[in-house]
Amino acid sequence: MSEGPAPETEGTNIEGEAPVVEETIETDEATITDDAELERTIGLSGGLAIGIGTMIGAGIFVFPGLAAGRAGPAAAGSFAIGGVIALLVALPTSELATAMPKSGGGYYFISRGLGTLAGAIVGLSLWFGLVFATAFYLVGFGFYAVDTMAELGISIGEGLVIPIALVFGAGFTVLNITGTENAAKLQNGVVALLLSILAVVLVFGMLDAVGLLGEPSTPERFAPFGTMPILTTAALVFTSYLGFAQVATVAGEMKQPGRNLPLAMVGSVLVVGTLYVLTIFVATSAFGSGRLAGMGETAMVEVGRHYLGPIGALAIVFGGLLATMSSANASILSTSRAIYAVSRDAIMPRYASRINLKYGTPHVALGMASGPILVLVATGRVEILAEVASFLHLILYGLICVALILLRRDEPEWYDPAFRTPGYPIVPILGAIASFALIGFMQPASQVIGLVIMVGAAGWYFYYARNVKLRGML
Amino acid sequence: MARVLVPMAVLEGESVPLGLMDLLGTMDVTVLGYHVLPEQTPPDQARLQYEDRANEALEDVAEEFRKAGGDADYRLVFTQNRQQSITRVAAEIEAAAHAILGATGEVDRLLVSLGGVTEVELILDFVRELVGDRPIGVTLFLAVGDQPEAEVVDRLQSAATGLEEAGIDVTTHVAGKGAPFDALIEAVTNHDAIVMGEQATTLRSVLFGDESERIAAESVGPVLVVRQQIDEESSGETP
Repeated sequence: MSEGPAPETEGTNIEGEAPVVEETIETDEATITDDAELERTIGLSGGLAIGIGTMIGAGIFVFPGLAAGRAGPAAAGSFAIGGVIALLVALPTSELATAMPKSGGGYYFISRGLGTLAGAIVGLSLWFGLVFATAFYLVGFGFYAVDTMAELGISIGEGLVIPIALVFGAGFTVLNITGTENAAKLQNGVVALLLSILAVVLVFGMLDAVGLLGEPSTPERFAPFGTMPILTTAALVFTSYLGFAQVATVAGEMKQPGRNLPLAMVGSVLVVGTLYVLTIFVATSAFGSGRLAGMGETAMVEVGRHYLGPIGALAIVFGGLLATMSSANASILSTSRAIYAVSRDAIMPRYASRINLKYGTPHVALGMASGPILVLVATGRVEILAEVASFLHLILYGLICVALILLRRDEPEWYDPAFRTPGYPIVPILGAIASFALIGFMQPASQVIGLVIMVGAAGWYFYYARNVKLRGML
Repeated sequence: MARVLVPMAVLEGESVPLGLMDLLGTMDVTVLGYHVLPEQTPPDQARLQYEDRANEALEDVAEEFRKAGGDADYRLVFTQNRQQSITRVAAEIEAAAHAILGATGEVDRLLVSLGGVTEVELILDFVRELVGDRPIGVTLFLAVGDQPEAEVVDRLQSAATGLEEAGIDVTTHVAGKGAPFDALIEAVTNHDAIVMGEQATTLRSVLFGDESERIAAESVGPVLVVRQQIDEESSGETP
């Protein structure tokens, strides 16, 4: 087919590596390949913890101030729109994940459903999308670290936000390469703790907001800036919903995938979506959106202080540290998995997926994740980081919906999902339209960066992996 | 023949001591090569890299077991939870017992602990089949705990009688009050391997690992854990 200069064999990349595709038998407890078994070890609570733990850091602890500044109290509507879109995508993603319960998540579905070009663009974009998301979480973490010190009476100033984020970003990478402790249990605990902190603050806030506690606040106009900012804000805060698809990246390790994958994905979107909307409602009724906007990334700390005094502020600061940390760490791990997925399929050199026997960790992929992350953290541009992350993920989400429609229209023999999307075909069609449409409401700079990355990914495909065939290869 | 599951960390250079191979000569064996991965690593990624090497090593081990007597096969699993994999595979192959590796030479005498949740009859059946007609002595061990001592002695005695009828050289060892765990470790001296039942899940086992695992670590030698009969419904999950 090709007339490239390199001697290429059918179905391999320019280094002569072919995708590793083997027939497997999937059971509820393990994946059985020809010569080995892969244990499924993550249960429903683990799946929910991955989804919620990845998402909650941004939506609650970083965005309220930024979002309220843009859209006023209607920012709650922006979060609701984001939640609906996430849900429209989570349902098709669940169906595909139960049909193909393998590591790799969204990339896997698209490369198998739409072919190598789409797969390569999505797979490589997802790598960068996660890199942008992680950088965003790390900068958020930096803000909370500085605020924590301030709460404790040590004022070190905002100039240290980026250095702190850089140090911790590098630290997480080292920990992930050398750490063999089981952090999953810790993650479950962190998420449970966060949900409790939020529940307390929100209950107090709700009681106050409806006038049962404290002095009545003067109601503000719901959408002081009109409807357009609601949509652009939805595009910005969509980063708060990126986590549900991360659940699909561990699909190969989920016990009873047919049941747990849909529950974990849809469940985590519903949980965090509800929390986001309530949080914004409470935050804007505490201060009014103008003042909230002035407080920036850590506005929630003041909300906590408003309702519960210094203890509330401390609880939120502590929660914010935990939440942004868990989001950042979960995303670094997802990035490494995204790199593995494309490397297994020969879209990137096989070397990228090497693991070391000493720690059993994928050090090459982790390094390829954290290098760019640190560069982006250094820019410190929270909004751009968030939007580019959302842009690249939204492309993925839109294509997941398209892949579902194509697979359903002409179902291959192997296609046998345990979960079928309710409301087909309306749900995936709406999901695809909404995902692509949301991109249109972003800042031009974010759109340009996102497009450049996609074009770069396509260029890499034509240079490196043009002959690799993935469509329908299970 | 009953089947024994022998899990080994195949990629970490673990090997089955000759003494244990000989001891299991009267049994069928499934070697379970496992490799535990941290959660950062998808098991499939490790499989890609190590599968061939691991299977080669496992084939050799299985061959050694066949030479020692019984039938032997092997399985390879990449996992993030070792205990879960062992429990699953043991249930799938209906293993009578699983082994915990430890250093030992030729086995002359077994320490058989009758405590735990596995029915005593199952443990005795297993020991009878394991020893066969070989000159391997057995010490039956039971800790008094909070039961009347006479009753414990009685139970040990009737168990001993059962084994003696099969022509096995049996002595009994009753541990007095105090921690059964320490008493068992004390009693290990002069024994080459331990046979015991499964233990109930306790707070301590959740925190510090399975009692059988800790005994294996303390006693240095190998431990054979006789599995309790599993109801068809609850497929090997902890209660």
